[in-house]
Amino acid sequence: MISLLANKINAQGCSDAGICSINHGFQSDEKQFKNTLEFAVIYSLGEADVAYFSPYIAYTKRFNDRFSFTSKVTFSTANGSFGTRSQFGDAFLIGNYTFKEKKSTQWSVLTGFKFPFTASNLKINGYSLPLDYQSSLGTIDLFLGTNFKYKKWDFNAAFQIPIVNLNKNSYFKEYGGTNDFPSTNLFERKPDALVRATYSIKTNNKKFTCKPNVLFIYHLGEDSFENIFGQRESIKGSDGLTINGNLITSYALSKQSSLELSLATPLVVRDIRPDGLTRSFVLGLQYQYSF
Amino acid sequence: MKKIFLVLLPFLLASCQEEGILTKDREEVIVNPTAELKYYGTFIPTSGISVTGDAKIYLENGQYKVVLDNFSISSGPDLKVYLSKAETPTEFVNLGNLTSQTVYPIPATVNVATYSHVLIHCQQYNHLFAIAPLTQN
Repeated sequence: MISLLANKINAQGCSDAGICSINHGFQSDEKQFKNTLEFAVIYSLGEADVAYFSPYIAYTKRFNDRFSFTSKVTFSTANGSFGTRSQFGDAFLIGNYTFKEKKSTQWSVLTGFKFPFTASNLKINGYSLPLDYQSSLGTIDLFLGTNFKYKKWDFNAAFQIPIVNLNKNSYFKEYGGTNDFPSTNLFERKPDALVRATYSIKTNNKKFTCKPNVLFIYHLGEDSFENIFGQRESIKGSDGLTINGNLITSYALSKQSSLELSLATPLVVRDIRPDGLTRSFVLGLQYQYSF
Repeated sequence: MKKIFLVLLPFLLASCQEEGILTKDREEVIVNPTAELKYYGTFIPTSGISVTGDAKIYLENGQYKVVLDNFSISSGPDLKVYLSKAETPTEFVNLGNLTSQTVYPIPATVNVATYSHVLIHCQQYNHLFAIAPLTQN
């Protein structure tokens, strides 16, 4: 029930960075099981002609009714004019605490970290690739979030703050052979603030749940890169608001397992999106098993 | 559950790359024999690095180009060709990744006369591999 920053996919802003993709384990109504495993595959379309296939695995340990801990590992394959590049993305370690329910309302808080598996400088045949082809942004991020649940509504707010920049990307538009992607050499990223509103609709037999939601992501400043002269340059228009629409439908296979289908698309996007997180369309399928 | 894991496993283990239109080996660029040699220098390795060859700067149809001549160097993970104002990469122009190409065009806005060295530098680990001090021809 704690859908704190829950969805696993969204159309922009956090496919890798993922505060909005933080695990579903938080969302379970089922408190009798102490462990939950999640497997997901996500197909999405990005900038220019880039398509993604991004599976992930997550494990949630519920210590008691209040406290749970989730770990998650992502993987990404990007395919487009630069070719195909596959690699592990990030590892997430997230703790979640749920306060006692009072009069149909309930608060919870979340904190955790994201650790990248790469420095965001994957290449193909020696050619540097834009961030759109990287499996991770190459930053260690801190997550801070809270969720307010009121009846069938969930309201999430969160910050995703890069605290250590390990990004060593070396893509220059000047040498890339295309104008589709901006230069991101030695990219530095600003934090994101996120707000989400989710409404849950359950069928009488509780087999189907539908969760339409809208996600607002505000990128708190302009990202920057080091230009060919070794000088840091802000990327104009890389700050600002993104709004995503997302529809999640889940089906309870049994008391222990469920399947979920997610669809997402952006409604409003930033002028320039150098981080490679933009998706024009996202389709996710997830299986969850509790024990 | 075991079946699902087995289905996902190949995706998780597949760390691979495949070339695309923009990352195929590009046709080798050569400098026209009529191009004018303006600057030249021989590469000197830094500690633990092996390098041979020369850096030459040609002017061809109004465009300056760095040419790596008879060049070979120890392999590195993220080697770049820099046109630099000093023997360390403090003020430089990044001419791109060191590839099998031997010709590296210099952007038209660069005043080549103010640069004194060609460097081979590993950007990812900030390690200088080789230095070629330039002499005017």
